[in-house]
Amino acid sequence: MANPIGSGGSSAGASTVTEPQADPVGLLTVLDNALAPASVHSIEVHGAKNTRRSLLDHIFNPIIESSRNPNTTLGEVTTQIGIASGKLSRLGIFREESTRVFLADAPRPQPGVEPTRTELDVSISVKERGRFALSAGTDFGNSEGTAFTNAEVRNILGGAEKLTLNARVGTRTRSAYNATLSAPVNGNPDVQVALEALKSSAQKPWASHDEHLTGGSLKLALAGARPGDSHSFTVASIWRQLTGLGAQASPTVRHDAGDSVKNSLGYSYLRDRFDRSGIYSLPQSGHQLRIATELAGWGPLQGDVSFSKTELEFNKTLPGPKTSGIIFSGGLRLGLLYPLPFGYSLQGTALPSRINDRFQLGGPTDVRGFKIGGLGPHDGSDAVGGDVFAAGGINMLFPLPLLGADSPLRLQLFANSGRLVALKHKGKSTEASPSIVGHGSGAIFKGVQSAVSDLVTGLPSTTAGFGLVYAHPVARFELNFSLPLVMRRGEEGRKGLQFGVGINFL
Amino acid sequence: MAASSWAQVPKPLQRLFDRFPLLTYDATALPERSRPATDDTLPTLYTFTTSEEASLGHPSFNPSCLKWQTLLRLSKVPVRILPSTNHASPTGTLPFLLPPRSVSQTPIPASKLTDYIRTHGSPLHPAPVTPRLDAYQALIDLPIRNAWLYIVYLHSGGRADGWYIEPASKDRLIRYALRNGLREAAASEILKGTGMLSLELEDLDLEVLEKRGQEALEALAELLRESETGWFFDAEEPGVFDASVFAYTYLLSRHVSDRDISGTVKTAAGGTLDKHRIRMLEMAWPGWDEEKL
Repeated sequence: MANPIGSGGSSAGASTVTEPQADPVGLLTVLDNALAPASVHSIEVHGAKNTRRSLLDHIFNPIIESSRNPNTTLGEVTTQIGIASGKLSRLGIFREESTRVFLADAPRPQPGVEPTRTELDVSISVKERGRFALSAGTDFGNSEGTAFTNAEVRNILGGAEKLTLNARVGTRTRSAYNATLSAPVNGNPDVQVALEALKSSAQKPWASHDEHLTGGSLKLALAGARPGDSHSFTVASIWRQLTGLGAQASPTVRHDAGDSVKNSLGYSYLRDRFDRSGIYSLPQSGHQLRIATELAGWGPLQGDVSFSKTELEFNKTLPGPKTSGIIFSGGLRLGLLYPLPFGYSLQGTALPSRINDRFQLGGPTDVRGFKIGGLGPHDGSDAVGGDVFAAGGINMLFPLPLLGADSPLRLQLFANSGRLVALKHKGKSTEASPSIVGHGSGAIFKGVQSAVSDLVTGLPSTTAGFGLVYAHPVARFELNFSLPLVMRRGEEGRKGLQFGVGINFL
Repeated sequence: MAASSWAQVPKPLQRLFDRFPLLTYDATALPERSRPATDDTLPTLYTFTTSEEASLGHPSFNPSCLKWQTLLRLSKVPVRILPSTNHASPTGTLPFLLPPRSVSQTPIPASKLTDYIRTHGSPLHPAPVTPRLDAYQALIDLPIRNAWLYIVYLHSGGRADGWYIEPASKDRLIRYALRNGLREAAASEILKGTGMLSLELEDLDLEVLEKRGQEALEALAELLRESETGWFFDAEEPGVFDASVFAYTYLLSRHVSDRDISGTVKTAAGGTLDKHRIRMLEMAWPGWDEEKL
């Protein structure tokens, strides 16, 4: 089942991959031998009025081709049919529950002659979903609630093309408009291209400004080798405008106000092996790995910023003793932004990162017990972000005494830490200069090295606490009481209660 | 800020809270890009300028920024200049001044700068209380400014691209969008200034605007000729009005020397205005040698 929640675009488009049905019609129990030779005599698809023939050909040709082989068995044919019907449903243009597959013995060409193999007539009936769909509702992304309206036009040209128009406002999103045109490549629902245009305006209260974005992207999304795995490749160009500064905005934020263009190539990988078969949305066991990497400004990309940025996230869940209902989980997040020179040279001077490219850390869904952006460098009260970070957390969920293990309400104990550091170049003082000074590749490398070693200098900023978790199918709600154990001056921790809503917790 | 009573933490809990965090390290260092912006010793004047010119304290190319930069220099208020954009400003326009962090983080917009100068520098010559001031101020704000706006933003080969567009982004599409926005804003300012809102941009004529600007400069020059001190309104020291006039006379003669209006700055009332410009420059930028630029 597709996750109905947008998680800030980081989930690489929750894929709807399901296991191919190996035996869609229960035929094997009827026929005595799955190893009997078989071939497909005809395939008929009923009810696909608005769907192009070529799209269906892409899906059903493999069946025809494999059945040309005289050694094909009935078991193989039914497996192929299962794969094809799985693809049909993943196209998202047919009502899932309405798809039916019928198999029948084809009439014999010459009556009386014993056939050497079973010839099948395959008949598949589908019901197309409506071409237009309008919806409205509310979403919980990580630490933000939004209200949206969504319009979808499905199967525009009969090739499962889809246009989605989305408008939303949120607790921090002043407005956001998205238009996405997507289509499967070669009729394969596991390979999708999507062209997206976006315009948005969002508040960044942790750094006293608003950010306006206008841009577009082209994305290729691939289902991975196993269900739950996915890859995506993106080319994007975004105009960012940092404006609407708060009265008390810090000099750092004022200095970065204005326009910048980011042209980037991105790759992301998601491997979701969580077992969510248990209660609500709580993973019972398994792991999840997420890697996102981005190259901006390099080579022909140009624009106003140039860097490589990589983020890695790993979460693991272990069940406690059987029937205890206890779940242990741990997570680790790492990130590095590496400034690069423009153009093709790797030796030239690179400009230091801007606030809208740097990482932010802290908040109820990552390092609990800190305000959003509460960790790392602060200029006055503004969280100005960092170029390198590491964060980790462990927690233990156990059932409430009276409610038992079947309740979505759990108690949790947790401890989490994080460290967010900005690149800093030692050496010659440029204090008096009002200009932003670029640095050579050697200086950048040394800066990154020293920032990485700063990550492990001293104990990381750490909080620990306990709280209640409500695992709703739509999102996870947490109410925690925590206290900071280790902090840096300027970091904004929260003593006492903190409420969190999200999907993706550390 | 008074916390409402229910939000008050009970005493025992407060005692617990006070014991945490158990360990506090020094603050994490600010990013590299913060370095030029977070000098604590001087107030910072955010203006339109280039980073090279800012570091040398050169005059800004924006009339409003130059006016306040000049006044701060005349009043001996030491400031650091930083190149900036309107997005950074609390009012949406430059200049504004940010006091040193140890003093306050509240920006001071241009409209409050006279008060700031009064408390932090040698007092300014107060503007004369005369109805004539408004009339002469209008000459600067309307015909002279309109001619400047047209020449810089709308005339082909105007300097707006190099001053405002190119520093904003390297991206051609963004530059195109910003240029259009800036041209529209300039045109609407001019139309507002001419009081002819029904007109379109195409109806604006540079020659007419420049002529009106020249007439206004002549009128200011005549006013100045009446003065016995060489400053406007017979003041002993140059004041706000002198800085307003200087901002335009300096920029016109420095940056659009190929146009007739720049010639008027030189010749008006027998060179009275130009003498004023040179005196202002010498007072605010002593030892300044324009030929070297």
